[in-house]
Amino acid sequence: MNRKNFLTNTGRWVLLGGLMYLTGSIFFKRKVSASGKYVWQIDPFKCTQCGRCATSCVRDLSAVKCVHAYSLCGYCDLCGGYFKPNTLSLNTGAENQLCPTGALKRKYIEEPFFEYTIDEELCNGCGKCVKGCTSFGNGSLHLQIRHNLCQNCNECSIARLCPSDAITRVPVETAYKIKGDFKPAIAKPQ
Amino acid sequence: MKNKGIILFLTLLAAAIVVIILLDLRSNRTDLRPDNPYDIGLDQYSQVDSALIGYREVLNLSLNEKDKKGIAFGMNRLWVIGVNFIQAVSTEGAMLLKKELDKTPTSITIFKSDIYISFNDEIRRYAEDGSQLFSWPLQGDSILITGMAANDSILYTADAGKRRVLKFRTDGTLLATFDGKRETGDLHGFIIPSPYFDLAFTPDGELWVVNPGKHALENYTPEGRLRGYWNRTSAGIDGFSGCCGPAQIAVLPDGSFVTAEKGLVRIKVHQPNGDLSTVVAPPSKFPGGTHAPDLAVGDNGVIYALDFDQKIIRVFEKIKP
Repeated sequence: MNRKNFLTNTGRWVLLGGLMYLTGSIFFKRKVSASGKYVWQIDPFKCTQCGRCATSCVRDLSAVKCVHAYSLCGYCDLCGGYFKPNTLSLNTGAENQLCPTGALKRKYIEEPFFEYTIDEELCNGCGKCVKGCTSFGNGSLHLQIRHNLCQNCNECSIARLCPSDAITRVPVETAYKIKGDFKPAIAKPQ
Repeated sequence: MKNKGIILFLTLLAAAIVVIILLDLRSNRTDLRPDNPYDIGLDQYSQVDSALIGYREVLNLSLNEKDKKGIAFGMNRLWVIGVNFIQAVSTEGAMLLKKELDKTPTSITIFKSDIYISFNDEIRRYAEDGSQLFSWPLQGDSILITGMAANDSILYTADAGKRRVLKFRTDGTLLATFDGKRETGDLHGFIIPSPYFDLAFTPDGELWVVNPGKHALENYTPEGRLRGYWNRTSAGIDGFSGCCGPAQIAVLPDGSFVTAEKGLVRIKVHQPNGDLSTVVAPPSKFPGGTHAPDLAVGDNGVIYALDFDQKIIRVFEKIKP
């Protein structure tokens, strides 16, 4: 084999290997959508509540909203997602609330349990409540991209800045990653 | 001609450097990102005055097994349970015994030479050599035993699933249950928002049970009547923060309580009246950690913390004045 043939063959094999790697990585790493449509979504187990969802979405009020996995909630009186750390009184006074827009609502259920709901028209997706709930509670509050609001940009401006690569394209058939239904790939220790 | 080439090269190089600098300024590098305007300021609670820290970490024991569930001290050694195993480790970290279990345990306690291990559906007693001596079933659904304490004839178990304490004779006879309600009309007893519920005996035989939703430690008579309590709610170092705490407790030989918290992970010692005595491990010892370490106390007051995030046993000794 002369040098020209050697170089040509090597180039062909390198190209073929590259193509196979690309195809394989797409096939194994990305879930395939039956309809061929994909949307952006946040993996709640990767999210670090950096605040970028509130500041980087192209919409005036972010398409990222806090959602609540009620099955995981402890319905706590002292809710780490609702109250500022070290708040002195557990009431709905604005000075006690962690949410900067008052989007997290607290409702008495029965002694000593309270239900927490999110007013999505007020929520800016900042993740303060998520940070508090994840740090001090059960982590039932988490962020999700709401697809009735998301413009499904070709390049999501939040995903580009997300420090933990928590935002990826997912098949439209499984457009949400709700905690409780959705589990991380590797379960965390209890 | 030669100079022109050099000038052209240097000009292109300078342009390339400028472009690289501009691209770097627009990049998403971690150190170039602005601070989170929505930070909730937990860092301020992570800082602890060094004068308050009364223990130092003297040893880390690394165990091969990853999925550990709990730790206890007895027979002058550490006993660690994990997914499908129990093992005994010397206080220097040497493996002394390892036995496989046919299912996953949930908690462990030791009294003299008896090792009690809880599972979702039963409690077993093991001997020092790891052989099973006795077992009895747990009746009912949704039972999750997360803490146990034993003396000569009685075993108390904290059932986080049903929010109650079960009192067994060590032959497995269920003697009583209590849910922390002082009387029938009480609206609530033990409040357990997340699966952390612990109890312990003091050296003088008093039973103390954590009421995590109230940030309280409650003292109960053997019949299950509330005799006294103390509670401390604070994100500051003097209390317990978040939905529930302390997550784990142990008792020192002098009757003080060692407490571990989740979320803002820290280990402290509280006096029997609840006042903060000293800090064992501040939050800075647990960077990125969220799980409360399980605790065990040696006969000499050495504190052993099973760090689920770092997957090690951390050994703390009191700093001598």
